[in-house]
Amino acid sequence: MKKPMARPTQTQTPASEATRAPRVFTPKPGPEIIETFSDAEVLELTPTPQRKRGRWLRRILFTTAGILVSLGLGLAAEQLIRDLFARYEWLGWAGMVALVLFVLAVMALAVREIAAVVRLRSLNAFRAEAAAVLISDKGDAGRKLIGELEVLYAGRADLARPRAALDADTKAMLDGADMVRTAERLLMSSLDARAKALTAAAARRVAVVTAISPRALVDIAFVGYESFKLARGIAELYGARPGLFGAWRLAGEILGHLAVTGGVALGDSVVQQLVGHGLAARVSARLGEGLVNGLMTVRVGIAAMRVTRPLPFSALKQPVVMDFMTDLANIASKGGKT
Amino acid sequence: MAQPPANIVDEVGIALGNLGDAATGVFTPTLRLGVTGLSRAGKTIFITALIHNLLTNNRMPGFGPLADGRLIGAQLAEHPDRGMPRFAYEQHLAALTGKEPHWPESTRRISQIRLTLKFQSGNWLTGMLGTSQLNLDIVDYPGEWLLDLPLLSLSFAEWSEQALARARRAGSADDAKPFLDALAAIDSAKPALDTDAEVLASTFTQYLRASRHDGRALSTLPPGRFLLPGDMEGSPALTFAPLPTPDQAQKHNSLYAMLERRYEAYKSLLVRPFFRDHFARLDRQIVLVDALRALNAGPEAVADLETALTDVLACFRAGSPNPFIQLIARRIDRILFAATKADHLHHASHDRLEAVLNRLVANAARRAKFVGAETRSLALASIRATSEDVIEENGEKLDVIVGTPEKGERLGDQVYDGKTEIALFPGDLPEKAESVLQPDGEPVELNFMRFMPPQKLARTEHGDAILPYIRLDRALDFLLGDWLK
Repeated sequence: MKKPMARPTQTQTPASEATRAPRVFTPKPGPEIIETFSDAEVLELTPTPQRKRGRWLRRILFTTAGILVSLGLGLAAEQLIRDLFARYEWLGWAGMVALVLFVLAVMALAVREIAAVVRLRSLNAFRAEAAAVLISDKGDAGRKLIGELEVLYAGRADLARPRAALDADTKAMLDGADMVRTAERLLMSSLDARAKALTAAAARRVAVVTAISPRALVDIAFVGYESFKLARGIAELYGARPGLFGAWRLAGEILGHLAVTGGVALGDSVVQQLVGHGLAARVSARLGEGLVNGLMTVRVGIAAMRVTRPLPFSALKQPVVMDFMTDLANIASKGGKT
Repeated sequence: MAQPPANIVDEVGIALGNLGDAATGVFTPTLRLGVTGLSRAGKTIFITALIHNLLTNNRMPGFGPLADGRLIGAQLAEHPDRGMPRFAYEQHLAALTGKEPHWPESTRRISQIRLTLKFQSGNWLTGMLGTSQLNLDIVDYPGEWLLDLPLLSLSFAEWSEQALARARRAGSADDAKPFLDALAAIDSAKPALDTDAEVLASTFTQYLRASRHDGRALSTLPPGRFLLPGDMEGSPALTFAPLPTPDQAQKHNSLYAMLERRYEAYKSLLVRPFFRDHFARLDRQIVLVDALRALNAGPEAVADLETALTDVLACFRAGSPNPFIQLIARRIDRILFAATKADHLHHASHDRLEAVLNRLVANAARRAKFVGAETRSLALASIRATSEDVIEENGEKLDVIVGTPEKGERLGDQVYDGKTEIALFPGDLPEKAESVLQPDGEPVELNFMRFMPPQKLARTEHGDAILPYIRLDRALDFLLGDWLK
């Protein structure tokens, strides 16, 4: 417990006021003050699919296989260079240079892939952190989060203005939850709109292709391709920039997310789906299939948003399948006329 | 036997008023915001800051409708009740933003204002109809009058008993001595004389006045109009005092019977209309509590504040909203408890201030929750008068606030002149909120000063002053946000 005290701001001369030096008592350990009132937000249910660690036997298998393959490749490369040198010396040097460049390129790519995966993971951690701040409402944690967010989007020219506004707004703020909500309103709203537009466009394409494709296999392939592209696009939009392996991981997470929340999403949109299917199917069976595939793509887009968005949906509404119905219905009406 | 605060005639009047509001409010609904607070809690400043921030569309990132872009703007509108003074928003603003900024004078009379908010609903059905409007009615009144509300449920005998017990408390001995002496010299059973009543009333008023200065900062001292009589000064309804309850029934011409009649007249002439017209029909309530002033004065003042708040809040009608009953019986469905003057503390201490506030309003909040109202509490500063800094003193880092204390404020033997800016470390609030109420607990050394309003204000591009605040946006979001959905 410290005594109250005051100091003039112009001249800080504590020497003259030695009598009122602050004393410090060791604080008595007491029970923590329980915060009776806090903005209790429901924790985001973001499943992070836990991969089972491989059995040790399998691990040995893969490790040894990896060692053998690398040894073989190394030997082959060594043999190749040796042969080239045996043929002509200049050919050997050229081969050597090409090999060095090749190895460097492989290493650079690997670093990039690893960085992408790490970034994807850190977005997950970031979202969890933001959800925690929304509940705890701690100012320091919020400010730290805002700082990290600004680092994450530092290279984004399209967010320069919102970033400046965020900086100005959060300067005077004291509460963590306010900061997170402000950041969401300022930074995420434009990104959300673009993610929605991407999703709507992909869904439209899928619906049209399904409606006119000659074979079922074609549209399945197209749905897969579009979904993959969409997920990648949304992840890039939110700042994840997934590479090849990152994209695989992302696909896994989205599938996991769809598997978990699929039931929940079904609850709010199954009626629309049935209606859409029924009405559209009456016009044309193919159109109905197109709508269903389009809706599936919409789901993928929403799941990708939830998985890659660095902040949980709190101040802004999470898009639902219903939001995209108009886009799909337009196609249906156009398709119905032709 | 406690009486309900409104009688049957009032109830009918209130119900008819509500029905009328419901009929006229089909297109433009009216939200009545009750700004409740004892005197010096910061009601006027809160209302001024609220109106100013809404009118000038100040940046309020925590106020959802504005941050989401749904709120288009606000405008002052004429109040339908033309018999009452208008809240002097312009004068108060001028005082705060003028050449020499100062706090507006304390409120001495009742006034009201209506603000019309224009917004577009985010709801797809209402949103399609274009912009919507909402009237926001706010009443400002002297905080002293609020203390009268609990009197509505007390008879003269009950009130006398409480008031005399309070006057005889050890701490009040000096202040109450003239009154108690006068009381001892008068026999309440003998025929009534106006001079006796006047002596009693004047000494009682002096005692009430003395108990309210900063050193004691007591809150539970009705009747409030004794302190701010207005035009009624000297009328019989304001000339009475508590008397010890006699053993047998008194003749109707005795002093006791006369004062009892005057007490009842006071209630029916002054208190009941005030309650009926302004407090019985509220939708939202913000309870402003100046906990710091009571903390400065010590545990007795804090306990007193708690009692006053609990009694006053018992008069309000909280409850969960019900669209059918709403037509005739309006209920307060959201109550915000706000510890004002949070800028007198570093923000690291706000959690503890909120804990103290929660302790103070625990009873009232529990009751409100029981009947279904939503409550929240926060540390608030309608206008932020200080900034924050960290200074190092003897190798120890202290969180300080920087501001200019008002003339006459003191710490130790230093008295400030109202011009020097200082960095103040006001002391730590106790870790356990309970200890501020215990007189024998560990001594809490605190010194919160009153600061001058911010002397240099930033301006918007339209030349409007930007009033800095702490969590005012959050308060507005809780109080108004869902009506502007």
